[in-house]
Amino acid sequence: MSTAANGSIEMTEHVLPGAPRKRGASKKIWKLIGLVAPGVILLTVGLLWPFATMLHLSFLDQFPGDASYTLRNYTQFATDAYFLGIALRTFALAIIVTVLTAVIGYPVAWFLARSESRWKHLVFLAVVSPLLVSIVVRTIGWTILLGNEGLLNAFLVATGIVDQPLRLMQSFWTVVAGMTHVLLPFMILSIASVLGKIDKSVLEAAAVLGATPVRNFIRVVLPLSIQGVASGSVIVFCLCIGAYITPIWLGRGHVTVMSIAIYEQMVVMVDWPLGSAASMILTLVTLAVLLIYGLAIRRHAKR
Amino acid sequence: MKSGNQRLLNIYIGIVLVFLALPIAVVIPAAFSADASLSFPPKGFSLKWFANAWNTQGFWDALQVSLSVAILASLISLVIGTLGSFAIVRHRFPGRTLLELLFMTPLVFPAIVFAVALVTVLGSMGLLRNFWGLVFAHVIITVPYIVRTVGATLAEIDRSFEEAASTLGANRSKTFFRVTLPLLRPGLVAGAVFSAIMSFDEFTVSLFLVGPGVMTLPLEIYYYTEFQMDPTVAAISTMLIGFTAVSVVLIERFVGLRKQFRH
Repeated sequence: MSTAANGSIEMTEHVLPGAPRKRGASKKIWKLIGLVAPGVILLTVGLLWPFATMLHLSFLDQFPGDASYTLRNYTQFATDAYFLGIALRTFALAIIVTVLTAVIGYPVAWFLARSESRWKHLVFLAVVSPLLVSIVVRTIGWTILLGNEGLLNAFLVATGIVDQPLRLMQSFWTVVAGMTHVLLPFMILSIASVLGKIDKSVLEAAAVLGATPVRNFIRVVLPLSIQGVASGSVIVFCLCIGAYITPIWLGRGHVTVMSIAIYEQMVVMVDWPLGSAASMILTLVTLAVLLIYGLAIRRHAKR
Repeated sequence: MKSGNQRLLNIYIGIVLVFLALPIAVVIPAAFSADASLSFPPKGFSLKWFANAWNTQGFWDALQVSLSVAILASLISLVIGTLGSFAIVRHRFPGRTLLELLFMTPLVFPAIVFAVALVTVLGSMGLLRNFWGLVFAHVIITVPYIVRTVGATLAEIDRSFEEAASTLGANRSKTFFRVTLPLLRPGLVAGAVFSAIMSFDEFTVSLFLVGPGVMTLPLEIYYYTEFQMDPTVAAISTMLIGFTAVSVVLIERFVGLRKQFRH
């Protein structure tokens, strides 16, 4: 009874000035519930519940069966040399790929945002189209480029630089190249969306006041566009630590990252608690990165 | 001086575009190779790999599963995502930002984490290696694309059109079906096409959920290469690239790709 009364009081408080009678407000609430309910149910069953289950599993010493709680699944990634190596490799890969995409992508983003070239639209299409091509197709493409009978080896042998085809697959740097290729469009689009918002008059003002193009770039453009680089980096980093197909296909079992270890634990070893703990580590890193980004953006906005 | 810089930038853009396009472009000539290995430059000319792909029943079964999942998941996402977009764009309520954030999580969160989380729940419900389990997972993955595109289109619709319609005597449902929905259609079409493509290409989450009889095309191709690495997979890839090209043209025509990639 009392909760219903409280509810109606709250509702009247939320009614905007000039809005129709209370009955209209309550009708509006029901409409809103109808709009939101399917999404809330989907996200609860498909997102929140699975994450809660995974979190719970990650602290169990065995599954299924009589289990007690333990931290062992987590501590393995700090103490066991094999798992520690996998974790470090994963984050090194993600950091290198993030830096590479930012450095390679920035000038392209600049072109997309500020050029008045008539090719601009085509360049945009060429940047986003790879995102729509199946990841399997792109990975097969890398195999054709870098395989023993691939384009690069054919070139190297034909020009006499090497006698025997090089083993270009199965290396960490092949995976770096593949991941950079897959994630570059995300970085370019993030930076371009921010660069596009910079008012042209700001640049002109700096130039009029005597700033050289280089100084203008470092002191004016870069600080203004850093938010685009930051949001692009968050996306690239988070997608990179969770990537599976590129490391396994281009690494051919020689470049084990977290996602590959997780697949092994979940499907091959059927050690769900360990797989869940590894996934939770990736979750926590992702949340930490998003949190740092959020705080940095807030501080940036305050200035 | 300035035009020199400009030329340098243009050359650089060209190199990056080649880097982006090359791994995709090399697949097409490799598919026509007469040689049994995935080689470049291709040796000879042959259509036998296309014939081989065409005559492999496993690819057809997988294509059927992939298309069914993509269409079903996109339609379900379209309904849930559009309702959610209306709530987020047109209403102010507590938890609105949280709801929007949760809808968008699949875009930023590592796919492998979703896969594991879903496995722990679907496994206990007996929905692993099950068609409907796969559809359910794909709804979660595709719904952010709908919310983003439909939300962006909805935010751009001038509400004075709807107000004019109701002033002129149209009731709520008439206003919705005759004014709001037609204005929203480009967003709906683009969102649905885009989410169908994303579902069709999905790899990591499906990897944990597929099994005998429930195999998607990307995974069927992947498992095929575990046994033999011949140009058959390049032939299928060539057909998929053609499929993508058609989709790009479709999205371009209806709304423009730009809207789809706004952050």
